[in-house]
Amino acid sequence: MSAPVQKMDQSAAHPGASIVARGLTKLYPGKDGPFHALGPIDLDVAPGEFVSLIGPSGCGKSTTMLLVSGLEPISDGEVWIDGEPLAKPISDIGIVFQDHLLLDFRTAMRNVMLQQQVRGLDRAKMEAAADSLFDQLGLKGAENKYPWQLSGGMRQRVSIARALVHDPTMLIMDEPFGALDAITRTQLRHELEMLWLAKRKTVLFITHSIEEAVGLSDRVLVMSTAPGRIVEEIQIDLPRPRPALLGEYPEFSAYAKRIYSIFETLGVYKFR
Amino acid sequence: MTLADPAQMAASPRLRLVAGWLRTMAFTAGAVVLLMALWEVAIIAFEVPVWLVPKPSDFMARFFAEIPLLLHHALATSRTLVLGFLLGVAVAVPLALAIVSVPALQRGLFPVIVFLNIMPKTVVGPILIVWFGIGPLVAVLIVFLMCFFPVLVDSMSGFRAVDRRLYQITRSMGARPWQTLFYLRLPASMAHIYAGMRIGIVKAVEGVIIAEFIASSEGLGYLIMRASGFMDMTLMFSGLIAAALVALVFNGSLSIGEAVLMPWARRPE
Repeated sequence: MSAPVQKMDQSAAHPGASIVARGLTKLYPGKDGPFHALGPIDLDVAPGEFVSLIGPSGCGKSTTMLLVSGLEPISDGEVWIDGEPLAKPISDIGIVFQDHLLLDFRTAMRNVMLQQQVRGLDRAKMEAAADSLFDQLGLKGAENKYPWQLSGGMRQRVSIARALVHDPTMLIMDEPFGALDAITRTQLRHELEMLWLAKRKTVLFITHSIEEAVGLSDRVLVMSTAPGRIVEEIQIDLPRPRPALLGEYPEFSAYAKRIYSIFETLGVYKFR
Repeated sequence: MTLADPAQMAASPRLRLVAGWLRTMAFTAGAVVLLMALWEVAIIAFEVPVWLVPKPSDFMARFFAEIPLLLHHALATSRTLVLGFLLGVAVAVPLALAIVSVPALQRGLFPVIVFLNIMPKTVVGPILIVWFGIGPLVAVLIVFLMCFFPVLVDSMSGFRAVDRRLYQITRSMGARPWQTLFYLRLPASMAHIYAGMRIGIVKAVEGVIIAEFIASSEGLGYLIMRASGFMDMTLMFSGLIAAALVALVFNGSLSIGEAVLMPWARRPE
């Protein structure tokens, strides 16, 4: 299989990476035979693109993320990151999970600086990067607080800072706002969009929320369950930055309706 | 957006904590004094002889008179306690890590350890005496056996309780195994390990006195046993108080150690 290379010429200092997958499949060993969790699916994510994966629980969204980042072994198929075949867990990456997953024995700043310690990067440079991220995310004053002293939204901001401080080429987010209240979620959606506009990292964003998917993405991939497959691909052409109240755009409602009707045909929603 | 100033946030709960602590102390002291007074009155009223049950005034006087002797033996006990306890922790924590990491050890070694733990540890005493002779070493080994198991079990659950996804995050950072161990696994399990140590120290204090009863030529347990031979009731009670104080000191230092080692655990709850 030859690599369908996708390299965009980008003059930015740290452009996003391209993600290409062909026939990506995951089987998990189970008691009665292997469980077919995902695929085969194909992915083509352009450098600096913001792509959302949306679908019901168990559609293999998280699996896709783990396979693409090399954190789970692939059962079948191939992945190329920036044209390079994926061989081991890639480290030029930032990960944000639904739960903040901060280390509760480290302060906010030291949680972010874990990246510097583990990677053995320059301390002063990374501190400056962390400072500027704390600034952009409204985390000033929270540097020396332990996670339990911060609100859910603040914790998730810290984990976003941790995922970005080493300036990776891609950001993988697994329902990062899933555990937050609606108001914080809308605010963080905006902050993430602003950060993305400034940095243009490739983002793979996993969500259950139609609003988040349409509100953030360049492209939404709608997935179905058992086994997880991509059933539809929707290009989102809305101006950026997008407002808090997405209903302002009639196009938004059209996109949302389209995703909703896909869910309905898939049997995700059974409204009477 | 930001929370209140940390000093402001911490000050009032800490003050309340100290006030609550002082109140508890006052109540405890009052209860002890009352109990002692009742005891004193009862012994005088029923004319109980000193060799059967001493009055608080008898053994308190003896306690203060024998401070150098008690101190000498308390120090011996403390030495045994510290050595046995440290040995227990030093063996239990790495072993817990090994058992959690290697499935074969989990299936093969752990059941053996559980079985050995069910066995009363003090029965090993006479065997150890045959091997090592009467002396502090045997007492250290018994203390080790007493405190080893709770530290092992709690460390194991601590190592297991670390969220799998945290390993995914450290792997995405390209962390080496030793980095994952020291930056993530050990500190994340610290609270559990410490809980095991707190149970372990209680067991160790209990164990050290018993160990000294049967296998030592020094220490408070030895002192109490010898006093028992002479029916020296007031000295036995003095030894009892000294043993309680040793236990208090060790439990207390572990609490202080917790606040120093795990500042993140200082929640105002």
